[in-house]
Amino acid sequence: MQLTVLVFLPAVAAVIVMLLPRRLEGQAKWVALAGSLAALALSIERFFAFDINASGFQFVERQDWVDFAGFNLQYHLGVDGLSMPLVILTTFLTVASVLVSFSITYRPRAYYACLLILATSVLGVFTALDFLLFFLFWELELFPMFLLIAVWGSGRKEYSATKFVLYTIAGSAFMIVGILLLAFNQDTFDIVKLGEANIQDTLVPVSLVFFLLFVGFAVKLPIVPLHTWLPDAHSDAPTAVSVMLAGVLLKMGGYGIIRISVTILPDVADDYSIWFAGIGAVSVLYGAFITLRQTDVKRLIAYSSVSHMGLVLLGISALGEVGLAGAVYQMLAHGVITGLLFVMVGLMYERTHTREIARLGGLARQMPLITTGLVFAGFASLGLPALAGFIAEITVFLGAFQRYEWAVIMSIFGVVLSAGYVLWMLERVVFGPVKHEWDGVTDQKYWWEHSAVAGLAVLVILLGVYPALMMDMIQPAIDTIMLRVGS
Amino acid sequence: MLFLETAATAQVPDIGEELLWAILASPLVAWALIVLYFRKLPKVAGYLAIAGIGVSLVISYIALFSVIDADGHIATYTHEWFSTGSLTVNFGVRVDGLTAVMLVAVTSVSLLVQVYSTGYMAGDPGYGRYFAHMCFFTTSMLGLVLADNLFMLFIFWELVGLSSYLLIGFWFHKPSAAAAAKKAFIVTRIGDLGLLAAILLVWTHGPGTFDIAEIQHWATSGEPEAYIVTLFALGVFAGAAGKSAQFPLHVWLPDAMEGPTPVSALIHAATMVVAGVYLVARFFPVFEASNDASDVVAWVGAITAVIAATIALVQTDFKRVLAYSTVSQLGYMMLALGVGGYVAAIFHLFTNAFFKALLFLGSGSVNHSTNTFDMSKMGGLKKFMPITYWTFMVASLSLAGIFPLAGFWSKDEILLDTWERNKALWATGAAVAFMTAFYMFRALILTFHGQYKGGEPVDHHDEDSHFHGDPKHPHESPWVMTAPLLILAVPAVGAGWFAFFPHQHAFAEFVGAALPDPHEPLGFNIGIAVSSTVLAVAGIASAYAVYAKQWVTSASIRATFAPLAMLFENKYYLDKIYEDLFVKNVFQKGWNRLLQLNDKYVVDGIVNGTGRVTREISSRARVIQTGQLQSYGLGFAAGVVILVVAVFAANPL
Repeated sequence: MQLTVLVFLPAVAAVIVMLLPRRLEGQAKWVALAGSLAALALSIERFFAFDINASGFQFVERQDWVDFAGFNLQYHLGVDGLSMPLVILTTFLTVASVLVSFSITYRPRAYYACLLILATSVLGVFTALDFLLFFLFWELELFPMFLLIAVWGSGRKEYSATKFVLYTIAGSAFMIVGILLLAFNQDTFDIVKLGEANIQDTLVPVSLVFFLLFVGFAVKLPIVPLHTWLPDAHSDAPTAVSVMLAGVLLKMGGYGIIRISVTILPDVADDYSIWFAGIGAVSVLYGAFITLRQTDVKRLIAYSSVSHMGLVLLGISALGEVGLAGAVYQMLAHGVITGLLFVMVGLMYERTHTREIARLGGLARQMPLITTGLVFAGFASLGLPALAGFIAEITVFLGAFQRYEWAVIMSIFGVVLSAGYVLWMLERVVFGPVKHEWDGVTDQKYWWEHSAVAGLAVLVILLGVYPALMMDMIQPAIDTIMLRVGS
Repeated sequence: MLFLETAATAQVPDIGEELLWAILASPLVAWALIVLYFRKLPKVAGYLAIAGIGVSLVISYIALFSVIDADGHIATYTHEWFSTGSLTVNFGVRVDGLTAVMLVAVTSVSLLVQVYSTGYMAGDPGYGRYFAHMCFFTTSMLGLVLADNLFMLFIFWELVGLSSYLLIGFWFHKPSAAAAAKKAFIVTRIGDLGLLAAILLVWTHGPGTFDIAEIQHWATSGEPEAYIVTLFALGVFAGAAGKSAQFPLHVWLPDAMEGPTPVSALIHAATMVVAGVYLVARFFPVFEASNDASDVVAWVGAITAVIAATIALVQTDFKRVLAYSTVSQLGYMMLALGVGGYVAAIFHLFTNAFFKALLFLGSGSVNHSTNTFDMSKMGGLKKFMPITYWTFMVASLSLAGIFPLAGFWSKDEILLDTWERNKALWATGAAVAFMTAFYMFRALILTFHGQYKGGEPVDHHDEDSHFHGDPKHPHESPWVMTAPLLILAVPAVGAGWFAFFPHQHAFAEFVGAALPDPHEPLGFNIGIAVSSTVLAVAGIASAYAVYAKQWVTSASIRATFAPLAMLFENKYYLDKIYEDLFVKNVFQKGWNRLLQLNDKYVVDGIVNGTGRVTREISSRARVIQTGQLQSYGLGFAAGVVILVVAVFAANPL
């Protein structure tokens, strides 16, 4: 039951928020905070209840749902060492997102309802073990995201929201065909069974099935050249949505590739792994080069995400235990680091109402705390040791180097480029002479701001100095996948 | 494994693991206390830093004597940090002769610099932040030298880079400081790419561990293919070249002088910049196993030494002379390592730490009094600042290599090693020795002799300036600043004798024991000693003739060698090539812009184009949607027929 409660807790909170009478709409944030905190607490409880010595899925729940024409659709949830860390990441970032939304005053009930439903849908994706259920949660996420960007966003928000939805739906269209082909092939939607099955060519070659599924995940990750929705969505989304988007929604792509593409079709993944390495390396470099050209802080972080998510694919490409662990770790690290970056930039935007780098500058004097947070997050993003990103990057590099040395040698240049765009951004935004235009602005000062920033920063450090916490959990799940890949 | 077993014998240095970690922990605790509680209180931050580093200093000396007692044997303490699959990463400390020498040099200079800083930084609005960063730096640097494996070494290596960034950019409101901080980090990171690649290489193709002893053993076992060892060594050297400002990555160090002067003394002269030399020394057996890599190290070192020395000849900024001198001396140390002079390099690293720190602190003292580093605004300070002058004189003589000061001994060892290996390298080193003596005394004469030219007037509108004296009337610095100068003058004179105490080969045996194979001891060659002394004296005499007596004016020399002077003054045009040509044009306006345009017009163009085509098709397709069921049925039937045919074609019955 606990997993069901965990997944639907935010949704229940969303219903309560919507039922609040209008005169209490100012209280919506408290309901949202309570709901997201409860989900976080429950996920932490599950995290420690999780047996890291056991293989396979834990806390499994299974109910017959629809039985039709030989297909048994099930309500089937469970977590393993691959999904449990991502569940924690999601509940954690949901709390942070709610906190940084406290200043929202426009239609707060609808806003928080959307944010919470988004959390439920992502938690559903990470816990669903039935392929159709997985797809339902996958699609459910579109609806709140569209509204959040289109209604509470800024700039060309309708364009960006539509672009986001169209891209994802186009990917999903491929994915659903792939799902149906797999299901017809094996007569089941059960992800666990599919992950143990030996799938052969039938009506269509399995490589086509693989391609269809991969496209759906790759749009989400995103890979170059399916990435152009990301900078638009990020730059026009409100802060909390950027946090969720970069922090957890992109991870659905990486999770899908590992859980579905690699686990269910390991032989095809092996045949095409060189493409993973190539696309990963190109994404790392292409993303980083374009990041250097950005003049808008949020677009800059968005493009850096393209670069960093390329590392996830690079880690997967070697199909080895170290690389896969690195890929999962990179998802966690990128989630908290980029989440923090968007929070810091969001706090700055709330005060200056501009994201244009050329207009900012010298803010270190007027906003010492926000500057500290931004410098910290920036160094985390460029992979400074003792912070989360370093462990992830080096594990990915070591793992991928075992198979595709050329791709790693290409990608490590991203290490210099990331130092370039992060430090240049800091130089232009917070350092340099004070601009008197910003004399009136305040520094980070509310408790909810402090809590969100401190919470994320602590996690960035924790993942950087105590990697065993997550690595020991990820390891058994990777071992299970390796049994598939190896055979 | 071999070396771990040695460590388990009775000869292990008698120092507990807890004490070794305490060397690291002590300044870290001071850092945490300052950051959490004492950032706003003035004074306290400085005292905390002094206390934290003082504790490290005491334990470092305990470590030194325990290693001496253990006859130079090694102690390592290792723990598993994390593991996944075949990857296991450990966290551990190692103490041997090399580490002990580094520990003592780092903590001694660091402590004196902290004391000095309480005077130099007094009244700065960022006083607390300054000492927090200094503590963080000291922790990272000590971690770097204590690390027993390459992974952990790399972690502290990067953290040292972070502290350097924060301290160069300490006065971040100055655009030049912010830019210099960024440049330092990025340029050293280019070198770090090599180190990172070396880590990947050694784990994948090497012993599958990061342990320093095992890597040394692997490289010398003759097991790996030669090119793998060479690639590994070159990767390590690339990292070292970034941190230790070797050509062509030396460009960041002179700019790093934007930081407060005590920072330059500690980080950008005495400690962090020698981390690269330390790294190459750490993996010295690997370099010995690869002649190609050693030659690269030697020649890069020699080129660096010459380039930097020539640029130092024409600098007008007091501190930049010292900066280029630092680069030049680092080149000297690399040159030594490249020709197999492991002991000589460490020896020079050790003596250089003291007299170079002294020189920088002296320049800070001058700046504290005149508000400038521009030598054309100084002169005649000898009579106002006697302590600064005389200590500076001692350090300059030591750097110039005058018998019997510290620099004489260590520089001589380097020249001796190059003489035995390669005469061309020796000639380069000798030329640099002449130039070193010349530019140091040029700077000394311009600053301290002749008439005082008034310094830089205080800009009272600059809210960030904390200068509170009168540049018109220069004065000696307060005792917290002069005391460290006097203390540092002692090793600047005597650190060279340390190597020959209690017997002639003591130092060589001590640091040599850090290597798997014993290393040949320091030698002495009267010919080398005399010739290098003659060159140094000639350098000093020339500077005296040109700048004090003006028998030949510097203007006429410049006119004679105009093209060369132009080359030196423009720093060989390297900054222009890097920044204007590569960064601004080739990348930002060229390649990066091209990709951005590709993103906007090609990638997005295809997406938007697909959207347009879809709309177009659907508006045409509307015609088919007649609403007549018969035509739908027809289409449906046709579709089914096609599918059935396709299925049967694919799987014949």
